[in-house]
Amino acid sequence: MKPAPSLLSSAFLQPAGQALPAPLLALRKQRGAALVDMPMPTRKTENWKYSSKYLKLTDEMAVSLPTAGKTGSALAVPGYKVAFINGVMVPEASEYPDLNDILIQRFSDLSDAEASELAERLDSTLDAKAVQFAGLNTARFEDGLVIRLKPGAVLDQPLFIIHEVTADASGSAFPRIFVEAGRNSQVTLVEEFISSGQEAVFVNSVTEFTLAEGANVTNIRLSMGGENVQHIGATGVTQQRSSRFESHCVGFGGPLRRHDLRVRLEGKGAECKLNGVVVTQDTQHYDNHTTIEHVAPNCDSEETYRNIAADKSHAVFNGRIHIHPDAQKSNANMSNKNLLLSTGAEIDTKPELEIYADDVKCAHGATIGQLDKESLFYLVSRGIGLREANVLLTMAFINELVAQIPVDAVKDTVQIRLNQFFDQAFQEV
Amino acid sequence: MLSIKNLHASVEGKEILKGINLEIKAGEVHAIMGPNGSGKSTLAQVLAGNDAFEVTSGSVTMHGEDLLEKATEERARDGVFLAFQYPVEIPGVSNLQFMRTSVNAMRHHRGESEMNAAEFMKMAREISKQVDLDPAFLKRGVNEGFSGGEKKRNEIMQALMLQPKLAILDETDSGLDIDALKVVSDGVNALRAEDRAILMVTHYQRLLDHIVPDFVHVLAEGKIVKSGGRELALELEERGYAWLGIKDDETAASSALSNSAN
Ligand SMILES: Nc1ncnc2c1ncn2[C@@H]1O[C@H](COP(=O)(O)OP(=O)(O)O)[C@@H](O)[C@H]1O
Ligand SMILES: [Mg+2]
Repeated sequence: MKPAPSLLSSAFLQPAGQALPAPLLALRKQRGAALVDMPMPTRKTENWKYSSKYLKLTDEMAVSLPTAGKTGSALAVPGYKVAFINGVMVPEASEYPDLNDILIQRFSDLSDAEASELAERLDSTLDAKAVQFAGLNTARFEDGLVIRLKPGAVLDQPLFIIHEVTADASGSAFPRIFVEAGRNSQVTLVEEFISSGQEAVFVNSVTEFTLAEGANVTNIRLSMGGENVQHIGATGVTQQRSSRFESHCVGFGGPLRRHDLRVRLEGKGAECKLNGVVVTQDTQHYDNHTTIEHVAPNCDSEETYRNIAADKSHAVFNGRIHIHPDAQKSNANMSNKNLLLSTGAEIDTKPELEIYADDVKCAHGATIGQLDKESLFYLVSRGIGLREANVLLTMAFINELVAQIPVDAVKDTVQIRLNQFFDQAFQEV
Repeated sequence: MLSIKNLHASVEGKEILKGINLEIKAGEVHAIMGPNGSGKSTLAQVLAGNDAFEVTSGSVTMHGEDLLEKATEERARDGVFLAFQYPVEIPGVSNLQFMRTSVNAMRHHRGESEMNAAEFMKMAREISKQVDLDPAFLKRGVNEGFSGGEKKRNEIMQALMLQPKLAILDETDSGLDIDALKVVSDGVNALRAEDRAILMVTHYQRLLDHIVPDFVHVLAEGKIVKSGGRELALELEERGYAWLGIKDDETAASSALSNSAN
């Protein structure tokens, strides 16, 4: 007899707060009901093959973290700021002016009519079968944030969303964001995930973007670490005609890190550019799963991901490009390069191409390697210390991607964090 | 300045250097010639500290200190410079960043303050003109997409910038056209100084028309088989290596017949 698959503990299906408009409460309940028999991923679950062993949810972690009034880290940001603390948006810790053509609203502040409209659209950018845990977020969010840009709206500064868990006790956080970018609107949204506590927590986040015709959205997503945090996140994007989505995902490893990024190019001439950098060390883990659906013709996608794994850490990249039959003249480029900084580190990479149209340009490449010995020798032969030479070469591997991060302050934050990584990764060099 | 005694070195278990003896004094220019595969680059790499090569016996001292026990970067900081036969391309690290890091590592070692970006740029621009490299190259990756000749000029540029005590030039003349050869040899001549020694490795003698060596050594099968003054190079050009009983895969040692960038 086969052992019964282990299911998601029912403890994880109990949302606490009820202070939401009825349509959202109904949606939450419906999703919860659908997850009652959700099998937990195992080695045999194709899209969790390399990562299931890192997922260690306990019932103590199931309870929603208490809402905290103030953030632990008073992060100054060069732009507008929305603070999500323990999964819920906290107005007192947020700073942004009243913006005429940009609405930033909590789910709990929506009218029933607005909530009903939103309930229709939540999850619409993500495929529930492929992204199992996005459904859990929908079953559990305590509140959420909807950002609506009216047609032509241009946000003059980046909007920072700081996701912080102040984990003084075990628990879960389910931050939820829905961004609706109207025709020809423009916004840069920076999401930063940080943690200031010690107890074991589970963060299950979902951010969705719908881009109307001509909209231009840049999303920077920083996953800054936290050795106590298991984080499963998803980003879903749908793009209409001639819209542009640019994403910069920078991730530092943790006990479990998983990010699913799904982009659907639904309107002719839409374009997406996805950059990703992952660095892991110690026994950390990070898993990126990306999917680009070329649904409409004449769309361009360009994806560049780099993983660096030190010590005994483990990075995973799975990049899928799916070109639908009608998506003629698609242009898809995917490059994934991986750098192992130690023999104990592991990187698994898998490009998946499914092409059902005949007139397409599609290129992909994946490599795994180590720092080049000859290059190292060349650098040290010029008096550069071995440690610094290692840093230079490792940085060279991701320079281009870091340089492309369009907000300087974020670039600096990333560089500082990278320097800490190098300090540790090369301390014995 | 440099004293090499009975140096043996091997790579992957195969002995390449079989007892090299060589004394180089400050102010001198030595040329090492020899057929392909005789071990010239191996000697250069061993002196610079490439641990792909294993020193099995013998000693090398510089200014009386044991060179072999020092790490590559320490040798460099003490003034050893190797112009590579095959300079490495390093995309993602700009020439500027690379050279500035190098210059500052040396300055740091000498207890001097770091050069700031502006000071460095000024110096780099001047020297790049001296070797006829467009300063725009500084922004590109290290040797990235450089032609063979540009790579060699870049090596000389670095030597001029770092002002080493011992400059080892490994086939810096190969793959150069006449004009580039002139630029490179002017650069090398500019390096000549009383407190500096130059060890030139070359397969051909044409470089020696421009840079007149004080001593010429012939390396064959891992040993120096003959040493002499500059007339030895001329003799080699005329008579080839066979005259010394050395097998060579080319009929004459003269580069006039060949452009092979070995
Ligand atoms: N990294 C290496 N691995 C194996 N053999 C090598 C390596 N480097 C050099 N050799 C061998 O050592 C010998 C001497 O090479 P080298 O020093 O490059 O000669 P030269 O510079 O005089 O042409 C050759 O037989 C060459 O094949
Ligand atoms: Mg050679």
